[in-house]
Amino acid sequence: MMTSQNTEPQAKTHPASVSVAEPTNKFVSKNVTVHYGEKQALVDINLDVPEKQVTALIGPSGCGKSTYLRCLNRMNDIIDSCVVGGEILLDGVNINDPKIDAVQLRAQVGMVFQKPNPFPKSIYDNVSYGPKIHGTVADNRGLDEVVESSLRRASLWEEVKDRLHEPGTGLSGGQQQRLCIARAIAVEPQVILMDEPCSALDPIATAKIEELINELMQNYTIVIVTHSMQQAARVSQRTAFFHLGKVVEIGDTEQIFTNPKDERTQGYITGRFG
Amino acid sequence: MTEHISLPVQASQTGAARLKMRHAAERRFRIYGLAAVLFGLGCIATLFITIVSGGYSTFTQTVMNIELDLDRELIDPKNISETDFRKIVRTSIYELFPEVSGRRDKRKLANIVSPGAEYQLRDHVIANPDLIGTIITLQVPMSDDIDQLSKGVIRADLDESERRVSDLEITWFNALREQGRVETVFNTTFFSAGDSRDPELAGILGAALGSFYTLLVTLLLSFPIGVASAIYLEEFAPKNRFTQIIEININNLAAVPSIVFGLLGLAVFLNFFGLPRSAPLVGGMVLALMTLPTIIIAGRAALKSVPPSIRQAAIGLGASPMQTLMHHTLPLAMPGMLTGTIIGMAQALGETAPLLMIGMVAFIVDIPASVMDPATVMPVQIYLWSDSPERAFVERTSGAILVLLAFLITMNALAVVLRKKFEQKW
Repeated sequence: MMTSQNTEPQAKTHPASVSVAEPTNKFVSKNVTVHYGEKQALVDINLDVPEKQVTALIGPSGCGKSTYLRCLNRMNDIIDSCVVGGEILLDGVNINDPKIDAVQLRAQVGMVFQKPNPFPKSIYDNVSYGPKIHGTVADNRGLDEVVESSLRRASLWEEVKDRLHEPGTGLSGGQQQRLCIARAIAVEPQVILMDEPCSALDPIATAKIEELINELMQNYTIVIVTHSMQQAARVSQRTAFFHLGKVVEIGDTEQIFTNPKDERTQGYITGRFG
Repeated sequence: MTEHISLPVQASQTGAARLKMRHAAERRFRIYGLAAVLFGLGCIATLFITIVSGGYSTFTQTVMNIELDLDRELIDPKNISETDFRKIVRTSIYELFPEVSGRRDKRKLANIVSPGAEYQLRDHVIANPDLIGTIITLQVPMSDDIDQLSKGVIRADLDESERRVSDLEITWFNALREQGRVETVFNTTFFSAGDSRDPELAGILGAALGSFYTLLVTLLLSFPIGVASAIYLEEFAPKNRFTQIIEININNLAAVPSIVFGLLGLAVFLNFFGLPRSAPLVGGMVLALMTLPTIIIAGRAALKSVPPSIRQAAIGLGASPMQTLMHHTLPLAMPGMLTGTIIGMAQALGETAPLLMIGMVAFIVDIPASVMDPATVMPVQIYLWSDSPERAFVERTSGAILVLLAFLITMNALAVVLRKKFEQKW
């Protein structure tokens, strides 16, 4: 099983890359297993997520990449039959420890879903909801500031500043997804998990989201699940290839796409299966 | 239907024939649907026309103006209620028809006004004691048979043996009408009185308040309990055999005949806890038991219909399960829950059988002032009146049905308003 410790991160010619000095690992996974009832969905995943980089998880449908992503903020907790084993360390703390409060964890590890899912409330309320429930802002002025800065960072501010109090569901699909990203970053998380954030969007909206991911990478650790190999190549620094509940290969994105070590990876990225 | 123009590329002869058949089937289906809707509308129209045509006359009452001599010798101002007001009323009536003699005819004559006249007079004098010694004109209701005669329900052109009003009474009535004493006025008694043996004195208010108190208790009990159960079962309970059994039982309870709940109420609330008989409190508790399954099932369906993506979004932001529920799921499910509650309440409003068991089917004249007072409810009142032999109770039955329908429509309108309010907020 490949782990990331032995691959040297370095400045790449990658368009999305930034030169980072020796990134520390935000997440370290040790033998993570997931069972849905009788069925084992993940087998001994050992995968590390470096800080302030984009890690892409690719693989054919049903390979467990989304399941793994959901382990990182314990979203699997809400599925009754789901049992997670092994250790996932966030900054050295095992988040699978029952003593860890999942609510607090999710404030640290935000999530953006496959289908844009704004609350059926105003744009303002959507973004301010997180800060409100976590009590991170003192007053309404602070809230206004958080809403504006979050929308700016999600490059949505210019488009919605005049209609903050209109329903978020009235935006276009791409705008809704950026609203969801703004909503996630309003909580000031350290990590943003993205579960196929562009699969429901058109190419232009997709390009905007990808651009946004490149900007967000400076401040946040991002883990993205994607079905699009081009997208993984465009936005990520590291890529992990999942197959049948296992991590087949993990490495620098460039290496995975140009010189995969495993022939299954080779087969998948060249479109022979998946 | 518009003619279909064939596309230039026509598949084949059979294809064209099939297309024709498909259109014909569609047309037929539409006609069936339309026919069903029209049939339903026709039924409702028939129902309304029957009830309204039979019941609208309830809202008027035939009254007569009569001069009453409040003789000082007959009324002791210090003890007004001891006065024989019946005598005063009768004397005045006899004076109108001095030619009537004989005990039987005189009694008949006295009975053309309602027995309520003397009580009306008493209350009037008690309220205005300075009237004693004067002659006043009072508008008093006429008896139910005369009222029906005036409304044309009892037909004067029939043979005397076939109607309840004798020729003599008709003569008196016509004479009074010619004197301009008879008037038809709005029947306030119907809306301000409780039940009575005399139709012209009977009112729906007692039953309406009984229904109101009963439903209030039902709502206060079944809504919070029902919503809480629905939330627990849907959002928090683990999915195992035990919760499955609970679920099946709730579904079964919804199908239990309502009289069984009445028996339960009799055994538990009356016999075991010793709560008062005929009280809206107990009626409301029994109806709450009956309504709970409806509310729980509707509430769960409403919670299920909230898209899981909303829950995920909230949980993904770090909302606790409670916050997710209170801020997102519940408000979105509320309109559906309210609909279920209103359906349950409407059922409860029309229920008679379970109340039979706890003594709410009773002749109760007093208007209930609280949930502990003996009371009856509107459907029971309708049932009691429909069973009465007096002709005037027939129209009062329809009149009471109209009031019940008005009650129902008001409740539904309220539900629509509440639902709209919740929907606008979201």
